Amino acid sequence: MPSVALPKPVRRFIDNWFESHNPPSRDSILLHNRRLYILPTRFGYLFAIMLLFLFLAAINYQNSMAFVLTFMLTSLGIISLWHTHKNLLGVTIRMQIPRPVFCGESCEFKFEINHHNNARRYAIGIQYLDQPPVYVKLEPEGSVQAKLKIPTHRRGEFHPAGITVFTRYPTGLFHAWGWLKFDLPVLIYPRPTAQVKLQQSMIEQYDGQTSTSTIEGDDFAGLREHREGESLRHISWKAYAQGKGLLTKTFQGQARPSLWIDWEQMGQATTEEKLSFMTALVLAAEREEQKYGLRLPGLVLEQDFGNAHKHNCLQELAVFRQPEANREFRIEQD
Amino acid sequence: MSRTSPQIPLGQNLPMHSIQHEATSRACVFAVCFCFLFSIAPHFANLPGWVSTIVVITLGWRGLQNLGKIRELPKWMLIPLVLFGGIGVFAEYWTIVGRDAGLALLTVMTSFKFLESKRQRDMLILVFLCYFLIATHFLYSQSVFTAAMMFVNLIVITATLITLNQRDDSVSLWERVRGSSKLVGLSVPLMLILFVLVPRVPGPLWGLQSEQRGGVTGLSNHMSPGKISNLIRSNEVAFRVDFKDQVPAQNRLYWRGPVMAQYDGYTWTQIPRKPLNRLNITVSEPAIDYTVTLEPNGEQWLLALDMPIRVIKGSFMTRDFQLTSKQKVNDLRRYSMQSRLDYRIGLDESPDYLEIARSYPDEYNPRTIAFGKSLAQRFENTLDIGNEVLKMFRQQEYVYTLSPPALGLNSVDEFLFGTRRGFCEHYAGAFALIMRSAGVPARIVTGYQGGEYNRVGNYLIVRQSDAHAWTEIWIEGHGWVRVDPTSAVSPTRIEQGLDDALAEEGSAFRIQNRNPIFGNLLYSWDNMQHSWNDWVLNYDQRKQRDFLNKLQIGIESWSDMVFALVFLLLAVTALYWFIAWYRERPARPQLYERLFDRLLQKLSKRGFHKEPAEDTRTFLERLPHRNFAQRKQIAGIIELYNHIKYGRRGASTRALGNLRTMIDSID
Repeated sequence: MPSVALPKPVRRFIDNWFESHNPPSRDSILLHNRRLYILPTRFGYLFAIMLLFLFLAAINYQNSMAFVLTFMLTSLGIISLWHTHKNLLGVTIRMQIPRPVFCGESCEFKFEINHHNNARRYAIGIQYLDQPPVYVKLEPEGSVQAKLKIPTHRRGEFHPAGITVFTRYPTGLFHAWGWLKFDLPVLIYPRPTAQVKLQQSMIEQYDGQTSTSTIEGDDFAGLREHREGESLRHISWKAYAQGKGLLTKTFQGQARPSLWIDWEQMGQATTEEKLSFMTALVLAAEREEQKYGLRLPGLVLEQDFGNAHKHNCLQELAVFRQPEANREFRIEQD
Repeated sequence: MSRTSPQIPLGQNLPMHSIQHEATSRACVFAVCFCFLFSIAPHFANLPGWVSTIVVITLGWRGLQNLGKIRELPKWMLIPLVLFGGIGVFAEYWTIVGRDAGLALLTVMTSFKFLESKRQRDMLILVFLCYFLIATHFLYSQSVFTAAMMFVNLIVITATLITLNQRDDSVSLWERVRGSSKLVGLSVPLMLILFVLVPRVPGPLWGLQSEQRGGVTGLSNHMSPGKISNLIRSNEVAFRVDFKDQVPAQNRLYWRGPVMAQYDGYTWTQIPRKPLNRLNITVSEPAIDYTVTLEPNGEQWLLALDMPIRVIKGSFMTRDFQLTSKQKVNDLRRYSMQSRLDYRIGLDESPDYLEIARSYPDEYNPRTIAFGKSLAQRFENTLDIGNEVLKMFRQQEYVYTLSPPALGLNSVDEFLFGTRRGFCEHYAGAFALIMRSAGVPARIVTGYQGGEYNRVGNYLIVRQSDAHAWTEIWIEGHGWVRVDPTSAVSPTRIEQGLDDALAEEGSAFRIQNRNPIFGNLLYSWDNMQHSWNDWVLNYDQRKQRDFLNKLQIGIESWSDMVFALVFLLLAVTALYWFIAWYRERPARPQLYERLFDRLLQKLSKRGFHKEPAEDTRTFLERLPHRNFAQRKQIAGIIELYNHIKYGRRGASTRALGNLRTMIDSID
């Protein structure tokens, strides 16, 4: 929308009004009368101007059929206002909890759109800002899924605002929409720096006296309960087959070197570059199945590994020095 | 990276416009092409051939391009094309405004617009142009048929609009047309409310281009007997007349039109129109009241029964008693009129007008002039001269025919003394010249004679084929007296009409003669057209006021109309809304679910709430075993409920009855 320069207090009033009438939802959003808005599209206005011209011409030529046509088209406009609104009224949208992504990837939002009405609804679009929309069609009492891919530009918690569900069906003269504001933020990890190698300096060697049982090592030490995130390679499938549940084999002996990914060691770089590098290191360590810990100013994550640990580390990197939840939308100061 | 405010300005984020830049699907392009072709097709008769050709070629090109058979036209090509179109239209009409030129220009430019249209936005604009094109149809015709076509057109265009907005090419054509018909159908009641109640403003608002319009007409501004040897034989309606009382006898129905007093030896023309200052008329019979619904004739003629005694708004009466409109009659015109059949006019006719009415050039038609002069010597009384001529027409071998031989320069001589075959113009022209050469002031009056009575609608139809010409001679003490020489030759023409007069020539203009079997049906059809003219095409400010007064529901002023309008529109849309809500409402839960809900409500009053996701049996487990008298019954109900819901037998009437009794027994 070409930004209409509204005075700031007016702007703020409008924003507050919308804000208070569209509380974010954790579950599903039902498009009822108070959540549904409708305005003419640019073509709606063009249509109105055309009607005005026709009306003046009809008066001027005193042409009765021109009056009939003008009124017919006016009625068509009124009916399509109602139909466009009706096409969204009573639709429920549920959003699946989105999976975290790395900054720069597009994150995928999955919506389940359903209704209980005995009507067919066409061309229901879901759109993020001015990205290309996704259209779905609802059969009577039907339910469909829509996936919306949103590009990410900043790490942190991403509360997408500006996702709308809209329709212009049937005539395109009106744009009815509702805001899909879910209280389900996406975690956006920092963008990993490409091509990193674990450096020697980060790796703390333990001097041979490892006595702890680890899943790495040479001598089999026994079985313990499987922890989430541990590689499936270390599961004792034999024990599982005997019905003992998921057990992990542990070994005694020389542990693999473990490492610390430390903010202080990142050298001279901007915050973002450091975080990107650390992200890449977490991924590399995870890939090479090494134990690793994370040291950030004011925060230490003990050495461990596995999916849960990886997620914890990436989360901390994502929200590091991010005082507010990162809310993505288009405003002038961007 | 900037810090952002915690508020989410939703209002700023309305992403309405990127949608219009989306590309359209192949099906949409075809739909829009068809839509344009459909709305322009009726105009092919009104457009120059090259414009129609451009339409066909550009649409064909766009279609092939859509199929991927040919390349897209480079954008710069459009500039010369548009220039060519504009210049072409100008060369054709010497203007680019006005009805015909405007339509041609609109058509050419719309066609070229197709060549560059790819996106949703372009397609929507083209569809709007198609809506606009419907309006241009009504500049050419406002018949019932055109109106019916408007609805078909609206359905086609709206279906295209739906296709563009549906985003689903798998929808069948039928489904689209159905959706569009539904929209159009729902609009009709609203349109009727608007049509009746939107306050009408008298037009025009700005000056209209005076353009020659109207179809075939049996009348003309000049008359040259012998020039055209075939009269227009058209059964098109010239006007229809509703008489307040009885329809006068056929031979008294002279509809006065253009009066011609100027004669150059070959052609009769009108003298410059000067308004009559005062109508001096002497009468004996009561006046006749009637209403004329005049089809557009493209001239200033207002036809009225001889002799009109009222002048309507926007018209005047010339000094030769011709009712003349100030504006050309380009649209249907309806007016109430009053006439006297028995009258005397022009007793005090000015000498200079009489001078014009006596003059004729000497160099043509010498035999006729000599004959007239000889009559003046033989008879003293003016009336006797006239009667002598009529007697000659009656007694000698004069024939009334619509296809007389063509005549040369001395046309009256050739006709009177040679061919002796002609129709009203020949007889009137000859008679007037004879009278003039005998020194009697005479002039030609053209108009229509007679008319066909429509017994279904109780009104008179006057057709172009009823066009007629007669004469008026001026007699001292009598004023202008009507003499119809044709009646001397062919009395049936005047008594019964043209069809009977020309029975031998096999002419059939009238319904009763054309089709005696379906006569009533055709009369009904004509009656419908007449009502259409009356109620739809003539629905102006006055008609609106009369109609609303007749309803007697207290709509009198402008503000009443607006109030009623808004109220009715809201009422109808509310009704629509209710019907749609009722038809599309979510299905009601099954009876057993509703009964079971009643049980759950009873239990929750006692403090036992079932979680939505909880299984009924788990819920039963949760209910306390002690101090709970009806636990057993509840267990039975849950058992039955599950049996009905999941069992093979389903919900039999008996099982439901049991469930209801059991649930009702719980307190």
